[in-house]
Amino acid sequence: MIKYKKLVKSFGTRTVLKGIDLHIKAGEIVFILGTSGTGKSVLLKNTVGLMKPDSGEIWIDGENVSNFSEQQFLPIRKKCGMVFQHPALFDSLTIYENIAFGLRKHFNLDETEILKRVEQALSLVNLENILTKRPGEISYGMQKRVSLARTVVLQPKVLLFDEPTTGLDPVTTNSINTLIQNLSRKLNTTSMVVSHDMQCALKIADHIVVLDQGQIVDQGTPKQLLQSQVPLVRDFLAEARDLL
Amino acid sequence: MTTKPATNLLTHNPFSIFGHFVIVTYKNVSSFIQLVASTMVQLFAHLPRRKETIQQLYFVANGSLWTIAFCVTFASIVTILESSFHMKIVIQNDSMVPGFASLLILRELGAVVTALLLTSRIGAGMAAEIGSMKVTEQIDALKMLGINPVRFLIVPRLIASTIGCVLLSIIANMICIFAAMIVADKFLGYPVGVFLTAMRRFVDFQDIVFASIKAFCFGFVIPLVSCYFGFHCKTGADGVGRATTQSVVFSSVAIIVLDFILSYTFSYFY
Repeated sequence: MIKYKKLVKSFGTRTVLKGIDLHIKAGEIVFILGTSGTGKSVLLKNTVGLMKPDSGEIWIDGENVSNFSEQQFLPIRKKCGMVFQHPALFDSLTIYENIAFGLRKHFNLDETEILKRVEQALSLVNLENILTKRPGEISYGMQKRVSLARTVVLQPKVLLFDEPTTGLDPVTTNSINTLIQNLSRKLNTTSMVVSHDMQCALKIADHIVVLDQGQIVDQGTPKQLLQSQVPLVRDFLAEARDLL
Repeated sequence: MTTKPATNLLTHNPFSIFGHFVIVTYKNVSSFIQLVASTMVQLFAHLPRRKETIQQLYFVANGSLWTIAFCVTFASIVTILESSFHMKIVIQNDSMVPGFASLLILRELGAVVTALLLTSRIGAGMAAEIGSMKVTEQIDALKMLGINPVRFLIVPRLIASTIGCVLLSIIANMICIFAAMIVADKFLGYPVGVFLTAMRRFVDFQDIVFASIKAFCFGFVIPLVSCYFGFHCKTGADGVGRATTQSVVFSSVAIIVLDFILSYTFSYFY
């Protein structure tokens, strides 16, 4: 589904991704773990063309998208939904308009159908009665959930999550992790989740990739990662055990 | 004795500093040209978003009207009083003040002061708004939803600012002339009739046309410069603040330089 071949990305003199080789299969939930500033978000943004790699290749559904133009990326972005680190809701629009925005752009639906889909998407993230509110009138946690609903409503084949649960309470975190799992299992959506949460990764991931200083230091199934001798992975595991 | 690290030598080498400056300037200018080209394509390729354009026009024109009216009134009063004062010193009378002040107001003051005030009001606002959108990943979210951010954000602001600047400059010119006329009547001893006669002798219709062309150009440049800095805003509150400051500085400089170029060009038609 998604393949990275020797992907390199630098900002000035600082190389953030140092030759990433990774293969993500269709329908998989892949967690990308690592400390801050190791290039996890950069990897996601390169995938959908929000950043351009310096060298290397990115293949999505058999297409090499590394040198795609903005125009060529349009069908790829329709296929891939992304939930950003910030809620990234449009302040000038209501919650309803924010979620309906993509539906109006990509689907030819009447207003009743749009309303139905928006309400369904909101109920998936445990929200209701906020359609007429503006992003500034709801809490940060609610904004993050609306952001998730805005992406999910378009039913993309690939979902990219950039720290989807950061800043959320444990109950909502749990419900969002369950949602990621359900989307993947029921709709066969491929999910890439950038996170610091090893505990959650061990619970729902099919594959875990650990990045450190722009390189993959370890990867495998949760079972394989539990046996890892890599110090960073051990640190993540120790933290996860402390929380249990 | 210690040896200086190589990086220090590079940092303090004047050739290196100059080279760095040239590269950075080249990069900035070329990405500004790219943004302008992309805006032009989006401006003519699609119909503008009507609701957003009207909202922006309301923000630009109606929101700035009273500030501009207030400031240009005082600017025109100062212009006519200073002109009178200096003419009296140099040629011992100020009989040419009404005509001279009218000409100065129409050719320079109305359009330039309006544009500079618009820069500090709407230019700063645009840079801050788009900068915040960049920092909070809203621009990336637009791209992910298949929306061209230039079409969505810049085009409505460009149309609104251009129309708004022309309208405001016409209103500002009228206010300036009216304020100058009152001051000439009450303080300098030139009744309204005398003022208008002098004005007719000095001022042509083409002065009003040229003033509007200037306002059009200024209104066109403000959102392009401001949105450019917004789009290239660095992360954090500091980045947004820097983008806002730079947008005001560079828009103001652009207006002054553009004013010189246009005035010089128009001088061939007088």
